[in-house]
Amino acid sequence: MILKCYFIVIYLGNNTLCVFCLVLLTAALGAQALTPSHHLSLSDVERLKGLLSQPFTDLASAYYSIVGLSKLFTSIITTMFTDVFYCTACCLIKSLFFIFVDSLFFAAEASQAIADCEVSISNETRDILLAAVSEDSTVTQIFRAVSALSSLGLPLASQEVVAALVARIAKEDNVLAITTALQTATRLSQQAELGGILEEIEDLAARLDDLGGVYLQFEEGLEATALFVTAAYTLSDHADTEPPLKEDQVIQLVNSVFSKKSWDSRSEAFSVACAAAALSSNRFHVPVIVSTQGPATVSHSQPILHLVVTDILSNPLASANLLVESAQAVASKSVVLSQAPFSLRDGIFELNFMASQPASGYYQFTVAVTGDSRLVANQVELKVKVSTEVAVTNMDLSVVDKDQSIGTKTSRVDYPFKAKGSFTADSHQNFAMNFQLVDANTGVELTPHQTFVRFHNQKTGQEVVFVAEPDSKNLYKFELDTAERKSEFDSMSGTYVLHLIVGDATLENPILWNVADVVLKFLDEEAPAAIQSKTLYMPKPDIQHLFREPEKKPPTVVSNTFTALVLSPFLLLLILWFKLGANISNFSLSPSSVLFHVGHACMLGLMYVYWTHLNMFQTLKYLAIIGSLTFLAGNRMLAQKAVKRYGQSSTLTFFTRSTCEN
Amino acid sequence: IMAQTKSRLLGNNCIFFLTISSMMHMALADGKTLVLLDNLNIRDTHSIFFRSLADRGFDLSFKTADDPSLSLIKYGQFLYDHLIIFSPSVEDFGGNINVETITSFIDGGGNVLVAAGSDIGDPLRELGSECGIEFDEEKTAVIDHHHYDVSDPGEHTLIVADPENLLKAPTIVGNPSDKPILFKGVGMVADPDNPLVLDILTGSSTSYSYFPDRPISQYPHAVGKNTLLIAGLQARNNARVVFSGSLYFFSDAFFNSAVQKATPGSQRYAQTGNMELAEALSQWVFKEAGVLRVGAVTHHPVGESTPPAAYTITDLVEYSVVIEKLSKGSWVPFDGKDIQLEFVRIDPFVRTYLKKNGDKYSVQFKLPDVYGVFQFKVDYNRLGYTHLYSSTQVSVRPLQHTQYDRFIPSAFPYYASVFSMMGGLFVFSIVFLHMKEKEKSD
Repeated sequence: MILKCYFIVIYLGNNTLCVFCLVLLTAALGAQALTPSHHLSLSDVERLKGLLSQPFTDLASAYYSIVGLSKLFTSIITTMFTDVFYCTACCLIKSLFFIFVDSLFFAAEASQAIADCEVSISNETRDILLAAVSEDSTVTQIFRAVSALSSLGLPLASQEVVAALVARIAKEDNVLAITTALQTATRLSQQAELGGILEEIEDLAARLDDLGGVYLQFEEGLEATALFVTAAYTLSDHADTEPPLKEDQVIQLVNSVFSKKSWDSRSEAFSVACAAAALSSNRFHVPVIVSTQGPATVSHSQPILHLVVTDILSNPLASANLLVESAQAVASKSVVLSQAPFSLRDGIFELNFMASQPASGYYQFTVAVTGDSRLVANQVELKVKVSTEVAVTNMDLSVVDKDQSIGTKTSRVDYPFKAKGSFTADSHQNFAMNFQLVDANTGVELTPHQTFVRFHNQKTGQEVVFVAEPDSKNLYKFELDTAERKSEFDSMSGTYVLHLIVGDATLENPILWNVADVVLKFLDEEAPAAIQSKTLYMPKPDIQHLFREPEKKPPTVVSNTFTALVLSPFLLLLILWFKLGANISNFSLSPSSVLFHVGHACMLGLMYVYWTHLNMFQTLKYLAIIGSLTFLAGNRMLAQKAVKRYGQSSTLTFFTRSTCEN
Repeated sequence: IMAQTKSRLLGNNCIFFLTISSMMHMALADGKTLVLLDNLNIRDTHSIFFRSLADRGFDLSFKTADDPSLSLIKYGQFLYDHLIIFSPSVEDFGGNINVETITSFIDGGGNVLVAAGSDIGDPLRELGSECGIEFDEEKTAVIDHHHYDVSDPGEHTLIVADPENLLKAPTIVGNPSDKPILFKGVGMVADPDNPLVLDILTGSSTSYSYFPDRPISQYPHAVGKNTLLIAGLQARNNARVVFSGSLYFFSDAFFNSAVQKATPGSQRYAQTGNMELAEALSQWVFKEAGVLRVGAVTHHPVGESTPPAAYTITDLVEYSVVIEKLSKGSWVPFDGKDIQLEFVRIDPFVRTYLKKNGDKYSVQFKLPDVYGVFQFKVDYNRLGYTHLYSSTQVSVRPLQHTQYDRFIPSAFPYYASVFSMMGGLFVFSIVFLHMKEKEKSD
């Protein structure tokens, strides 16, 4: 896409324009790729130091901490370490009994970094180290043995080491092994034939993955990338040949090594520290970080632009010179300033940009850092903001009748006061607001990015925001048609607090002004629709079941009266019987008659129990028992009565006999 | 005997292996997470966030979003439990991942965390609209001229969000703190028709979303409190999705940076609240927090211990349910004050609060005087928690004919007449049978 545009521009324009565009575009394109976007800021260095200064118990950690710290702070190494830290380190180094190449390496390297902590070794241990330098050991073993030997100041045959390394690389063809081989080569004599190993730098560089043109890293991870950068620059310094890395590649490597700000392990922090040290002090490429001190903003109150030029570790580059090649307004593309040098004061580069009287807005600065041929990324594009202050003037509020716009009362309000009284607008009226925004310093009219009018209903919390737009004379006119806008207010009449919000990135004083209270009245007010989301997660109202009311019953007096009436015939019967002289003198206490009457009473009682407790089948069962007994008892009783009444009457002989048989 | 012992040993082994495998399954169940990145460098720049996930037992596999070997579903099975999309600028996902598969992943219960940015591409915008969230256009940013950070590079897009603008739901956003939140990215608005969208973090009243480098010529996509910085969604199947408008929000740089509003005299905080919020959000979205389940449900008439075949209307019934919450990988009793029980036949007849009683929630209530097939229903849907639903069906029958009142005062004349008739019969039968007539005896 970018390339296409590029060519179209070239062929469309005339020659001079063309060249200009070309330069511009390459500058713009280059700027994107050429500036490191990550480095170690002072706080990052502090955290790196904090991670490396953590107490350690094993030799490897001691090595990572001590050597890593010594890389970060080359000059102040002795003051850096506290006594305790120093003592534990040195004791740890000396206390160990060395028979392994690894521990020898860690101890030798760490002791070299600390003053007054020398490790003395015997001849046997030296032989162990020398024996490790062979084709049969891994590259790591060779590296550690060689480093230990050179740190301890013992002689070694560089040419043999080179041969062993070359042979091992052929077997172990991975990034880490080759990087280690590069690191080994830095410990060898400069007279040895390092050419073959130097070529490996280029081969490794070809293996780097490009991530979106911004990052360049090995897929093995951050540590591999960081160690490669370290090894490449240390070896190039050692062999005094420029490393085969292009400027873009260096910056991409810087981005990927320093983008991670929170390190997982001590060894990772160590590798980052080594890479930072290598990139800030080598003889070929030193990436430059140009940053503003504070925000990149100048204004009438702060007219001076402060820039800091540092290396990767945020150490100021004292030898550098800073020059503005051009400063161009982003909106109008006009060049405001060109070829202006910065002045250096206390390590900070300063330029009074307001002296060239720029209008407020953004300016694209092209800054060049010179003074050292090693500097990489020394053409920096900066976006500088010229900010100003805004003032609201001529704020007029009015309520206008739609039919006749005459006779409206306009009231003037001054910032930052609130209008006295409130404004009322019903559906036949418009609420209007006119104002102007001017630059408080120059008096020029401004059209800031954000000019919003906000209505806030304090009762419901609802807020409605409108955008106020300027007319051709940059006069802001905001009119609210109450009838038309009722849907936005959900037709909720009430008092709204009116705010004017003015803001822009180039304004130092954003305005949030409570201008007035406005009462809006909508015609057909609808009940606010219950928003489901608000009730979705709330408990629902309790429900108590409403039990059915018992039916209304007639008064008990009536039923009691009728009960008495119903019972009266029975009483009447008893009375009449008494008068007639009813008696039971014939009752004889024979078992059959007693049984019959008891049985009869039981049957009647059973009827009552049936009504209250039993079901039909139970009743029938009991009835069968009681009934048959009663039947038999009744039969006998009647027979006895008949015998008694009729004496020896012949007609009843048969009956008597049959009863007797029973 | 040998064979028997062997088989028993085998059986034991089997059981042992089964337990082991089920435990392993448990351990892996909340693990597999696919992380899609714009480039692998994001793993380094956002290492704190990823490390906290890895420390909590998630099995993260990092892929670039355009990796041609990507796939989310294989043979109808989801390969991952969770998905993290930290690739705002992706124009086309690689492999067989696209917006449709991600949507079906959510429909299948998968959880998704999406971080966008001002360089948002079409797939993420589409995914947002599927979930009821409308992202603003590419190259726009949330701007707030009143609440931006002192280290803002110049466009007032590095926003300091007040913790007051967070959703009031501790299960989602963690315990309240006063640390402001740094944000730089694209704005969103919620679809007003989608009631499930949660406004996790909104902008302030003065914020808006627009192109920072163009004058405002049309009404901005999002204005004021409508501007969503972080939005969430819990679908009806309890799948959770969180959209953050800012990928920087999760970055190490924002986690560790100090924060101070640029307005003069504002307080400086040594650290942003981003880390705590990001951790709480990730715990919520990946179902480590706010997950509920129903345990044993019991119901019986008061005074009994087993449920009858059918309840009778107006019975006094006791219902109890065990509700548990997932906390640090184990289930613990849930402590809620507003759990409601409904007794439903098409419509609820009774709705009452359950009281916590030991480990159980229980309530006693009188059944309505309406018969039919009812359900005891606990439908607990609260902000930040999974939807808890339990229903137990019971039948309620009317009174048997023997269960009515035997003696109604209004009917006393009838009873009296019957009993007087019965009494009369008894007395009459005695008198009739045993009366001695005087005349005859004379």
